[in-house]
Amino acid sequence: MDIRKDQGREYAQGAMMSPNPEPEMITMDEAVGIPMPGGPTKRPVSPLQESLGRLRRDTRAMISIGVLAFLVLVALIGPSIYTHIGAPFVSSVTNQSIGPQDYHGYTHEELENQDQGPSAMYWLGTDNLGRDELARLMQGLLVSLFVAVFVEIFDITLGLLVGVLAGYYGGIIDQFLARFTDLMLAFPGLLLIILVAGIFGPSADTAFAHIPILGANGNARLLLVGIVIAVTAWPLMARVVRGQTLQLKEQQFVEAARTSGTTNTRIIMRHIIPNLFSVVIIVATLDISVTIISEAGISVLGLGVQPPGSSIGLMISEAQNYISTHPWEELLPCIALIIIVLCFSFIGDGVRDAFDPRSKD
Amino acid sequence: MVQFLVKRFIGLLFVVIGVTFITFIMGLNAPGDPVTILLGQHFNQAQYVALKHVYGLDLPWYTQYWNYLRNLFTFNFGLSYEYKNRAVVDILAGGLPITLELGMWGLLLTFVIGIPLGILSALKANTWIDTTNMTVMLVLYAIPVFIMAVLAQVFLVWLDKVTGGQNGIMWPVSGWGSAWQYGLTDIQFKLAPVIVFALGGVAYYARLTRTTMLEVLRQDYVRTARAKGLRERVVVYRHALRNAMIPLITVIGIAIGFLVTGAFFIENIFNIPGIANITVTSVFNRDYPVIQATTVLLAVAVVLANLLSDILYTIVDPRIKVE
Repeated sequence: MDIRKDQGREYAQGAMMSPNPEPEMITMDEAVGIPMPGGPTKRPVSPLQESLGRLRRDTRAMISIGVLAFLVLVALIGPSIYTHIGAPFVSSVTNQSIGPQDYHGYTHEELENQDQGPSAMYWLGTDNLGRDELARLMQGLLVSLFVAVFVEIFDITLGLLVGVLAGYYGGIIDQFLARFTDLMLAFPGLLLIILVAGIFGPSADTAFAHIPILGANGNARLLLVGIVIAVTAWPLMARVVRGQTLQLKEQQFVEAARTSGTTNTRIIMRHIIPNLFSVVIIVATLDISVTIISEAGISVLGLGVQPPGSSIGLMISEAQNYISTHPWEELLPCIALIIIVLCFSFIGDGVRDAFDPRSKD
Repeated sequence: MVQFLVKRFIGLLFVVIGVTFITFIMGLNAPGDPVTILLGQHFNQAQYVALKHVYGLDLPWYTQYWNYLRNLFTFNFGLSYEYKNRAVVDILAGGLPITLELGMWGLLLTFVIGIPLGILSALKANTWIDTTNMTVMLVLYAIPVFIMAVLAQVFLVWLDKVTGGQNGIMWPVSGWGSAWQYGLTDIQFKLAPVIVFALGGVAYYARLTRTTMLEVLRQDYVRTARAKGLRERVVVYRHALRNAMIPLITVIGIAIGFLVTGAFFIENIFNIPGIANITVTSVFNRDYPVIQATTVLLAVAVVLANLLSDILYTIVDPRIKVE
């Protein structure tokens, strides 16, 4: 949560990037775009392609992207495959045959298979209620993914809109943004999330209960938690965008556009917003990681996803009473979250270096 | 300076009013009637009206809010809903010393460990010491505090097991002991939470110190000092470090922000009865007066920390004049 504030200050304190970052040096494959007399000419590379090229050469970031892509794939299609793998077994409690579509579901409690280690039947073991850990982990990943995407859409839309308007027009919207960000920076973001999730959580449970997938299995609070995280996240995006817009609107190409009679709307849409791409992507990468940590943290405190649902944070908090007897159940979600967070931190570094080469020391 | 302080104080008032208003409106619109919850299942209308009057809930909302603000200035946070007739101040008084103690140690460790690690890395820049140190710090900085806390618990429990179960070291993994007491058992209770609490800040400060030290060490006056033949120790500690400290002091507000966020998880996971834990419990109990009080307390702490760093900034660097 505070990573965000800290970065916000770094940007606010004048570490502002130039609108069109030029590479410090041109490598051979970037130089091919420069037309040579007599030689074969290629299409010039756009700044975006340059940045992506730089990102592609960052091995650590590319590996992290690969790992995350794998995790997203696992979260999306993993459960449907996993529920078809495994032999049916006869439960000694009910004397009924149970297939993998049941015992590989993340809410199914198999009382005679509690606290098991990894095996052919349960790939990552079971928890204290006999629920499959891999199935719960995949559902947890899905929850993280959902919250990340949901918050990012909100964050980018609102942050970009308010930031550009405040930077370009100034005036009352700028005043509002300044006051609001001050308040949000003083009010610890986590505290607001705790308050809203705790106080309005039970109402959200009933209000969203009829929504097909989202309302089922204690996931109803996700929407609420997502909205509050987004509310705490967007002021930073807006602040950074505002700073960048302030610089951009003094640039000559904007002046030229204005002189030739371009309307404000068109200047914003065609000249300002495309140039904000790199700041937005840098801040967004940072925000995704913060968002995933916030959701997990709220669930650790017991205010996020409710049982029998699953989330990485909920798995951590549920296993807390069994660390002396079954530490594996606690370590598993921790390791998963550490992998996600480190991947994002490496990607964040890579993206910043690629899209803003001057920030490198 | 006076003008600056007055300006910041007005800003502080604005934040306090904003924060109290948000929490007040949230309590007002929250589901459930606190009075019916207090009275239980059997009550008559007269009791209901009487109790509603005791809590001042029969007044219009703006009068309630005004009364609330007025009471705030005399540190009268009202009565708790959950524990009948218990003043909120009473409940807070139990938790405040513990949270302050936790915070003080966290801040102290942040400086005492983080800054020297950063200096070490800067002096040995681009050697294996620096690379290892900075990689560890990057990882510590990235991993959320609740993961650290849980891992610390798993480690302590494992340590108990390898040292022989019941006859092992039996290091406690939850609780706090007595506040501001440092007997052997108290230290056992406090050691793990305090260390985990400080890790994030330590990593942040180590990285920042390294950057600022490297920047300062490149300056001309450091070269001059070396050219004069001063001992390296004098160059580093008297010429470089003093100037490198300036940016470090200004981010003290961020460090305290870290601690406020961390406190919620540390107190929850290690089961420490501090302010943050009281807040979370009150959220579960829907004890709004307590929630409002702790929220204001934490927000004011963060704002004061920022104000403090602004003032320190002008003290350590006389060239900076406050606007």
